[in-house]
Amino acid sequence: MSIWESVKTAWQSIFSNKLRSSLTMLGIVIGVMAVVLLVSIGQGFQQSLTTTFNNMGASALYISSSTDKTITTVRPLTFEDAQALEDKTVAPSISAVSPTLGSRGSVSYGNNNVTIQITGITPAITQIRNYQMEEGRFITDQDTTARNNVVVLGYQAALDLFGSESPIGKSLRVSGSKFQVVGTMQKMGGFGGDSYLLMPLTTMQSKITGGNNVQQIAVKAASPELVDAVIAEITSVIRARHYIRTGGADDFTIQDMRETLNSMQQTMATFSIFLGAVGAISLLVGGIGIMNIMLVSVSERTREVGIRKAIGAKRRDILLQFLIEAAALSLTGGLIGLLLALGGASLMGNISLGTMSLKAEISATIVIIALSVSVGTGLISGTYPAFMAAKLDPIESLRHE
Amino acid sequence: MIELKNITKIYDLGTVKVNALDDISLSCQKGEFISIMGHSGSGKSTMMNILGCLDKPTSGSYHIDGQDVASMSDDALAVMRNRKLGFVFQSYNLLPKLTATANVELPLIYAGNKNRHQRALDALESVDIADRASHHPSEMSGGEQQRVAVARALINNPLVILADEPTGNLDTATSHNIMMLLTEQCQKGITVIVVTHEEDIAKYTQRTIYLRDGKIIEEKRR
Repeated sequence: MSIWESVKTAWQSIFSNKLRSSLTMLGIVIGVMAVVLLVSIGQGFQQSLTTTFNNMGASALYISSSTDKTITTVRPLTFEDAQALEDKTVAPSISAVSPTLGSRGSVSYGNNNVTIQITGITPAITQIRNYQMEEGRFITDQDTTARNNVVVLGYQAALDLFGSESPIGKSLRVSGSKFQVVGTMQKMGGFGGDSYLLMPLTTMQSKITGGNNVQQIAVKAASPELVDAVIAEITSVIRARHYIRTGGADDFTIQDMRETLNSMQQTMATFSIFLGAVGAISLLVGGIGIMNIMLVSVSERTREVGIRKAIGAKRRDILLQFLIEAAALSLTGGLIGLLLALGGASLMGNISLGTMSLKAEISATIVIIALSVSVGTGLISGTYPAFMAAKLDPIESLRHE
Repeated sequence: MIELKNITKIYDLGTVKVNALDDISLSCQKGEFISIMGHSGSGKSTMMNILGCLDKPTSGSYHIDGQDVASMSDDALAVMRNRKLGFVFQSYNLLPKLTATANVELPLIYAGNKNRHQRALDALESVDIADRASHHPSEMSGGEQQRVAVARALINNPLVILADEPTGNLDTATSHNIMMLLTEQCQKGITVIVVTHEEDIAKYTQRTIYLRDGKIIEEKRR
């Protein structure tokens, strides 16, 4: 008997037991869907994370005030601290410095009102972070000196406020003051995404927050190898400016993007494995379901096996018939599960949790793995029942009612 | 054609050993119509199983068409059943989910034959049941089902047809028709062996073998 005939026989049997076949498949459907979806969510997360960090600049470092409660006096970072780092004689490894100051605030244009991240920056930020203009111009040095009421909008913020209108030259309100939109940015992706507004740091200080403090100083190393030298330079400059004695603890922290990225990626990889394991457990349960049903099916069809054997079926024919039946059940279940996972993944693209949107990245690898695992599950769970069927004694089986 | 020599079958039930067949010797010619009779426990079922290559004797030799069956592997026996033998059972034993044609095609599938559909239709035609070709067993009467079963037994042009109480579930008129159908097959040169406990059925055959306690006690020729 050819394999093709075995496949046809298996299909006949699956189709003649529609309800049972679908219920058996359900286990595999859910298993495959869970594996594909969960692993894809993990991968989507990881990808967003990488994008986020790339946008922040690969050789960038971020200085912020220490949040360590054991340090008694923490001097806030100032605009002057940032200026000091631009001095090539004390900090030769630094190629760009940009102090920033951020807060969430409400922005309105006409009847549209959004609450987004508002950040005061200096033009040097473009040398550190990955900002790309969509339309108009960026904040200039002149805006900074003159404390101009100008803003640049992130891709999503522009879309939410202006829709299809061009925002350039339009006036909007930020915390009650009027600002003019001078530019919009390209889509960046990643967590935090594109819902943001940028204005000159000096404007931010005088109109929104008050005072001369900054929240963060973004620094770029002249080359990625110089990151360690940059850390040393920042430490000595800021310690001196903050009057910290030898032996005293730093009142600021320096965040090195590479390190953060690495540790985050490791966490994410672990997370992905965990999600995969949850999916694998449901696939295992599905496999047990198949084995269970195949065993029931074998004892129910004992007489059929007897008849087939009497008219010339060999052990191998019966073995293949049941094995292919199990594999076909699980492959079909796997395909349905995959389709549902694809549907689920595209639905998930529309769900956003605060500033971050949930995204599932379905890769060809995971599709191939899920399908082969589902067929494998079918074969493994089908082997024992098929073996039981194949070794049935034809005489006993024919007598079986 | 069929040659049984000193066939013994002992069932080992642990504490007791049952001599189901005790030193049976029998030979049948091509085209012979033979009946095997006996009460339950006489060993006629065991005899049928051994003749049908479904079971192996404990000792003795069994030749079909010159081939020694007693020493064959399970797979070789399966091939033997497929190519040389045809079975007709008391309860028809058609697969309920397949049509008459598909049931008749089954032995051809295991034989790996092509052009199965046409051959199955021809076989159904030859037993006068072609009009039920696309019916399922549940849609047919007992007599019709048994005709389909005979068609299935004939499909691979067997040397021997083994019929185990073929009329056990049928009324007298239908029984007569089925026995006539089997008689026809004998006339075409197929050896037909019927196991029965009805003297009326045995009367259709040329030769009746009576079994008791695993031994042949009498043989009658007509």
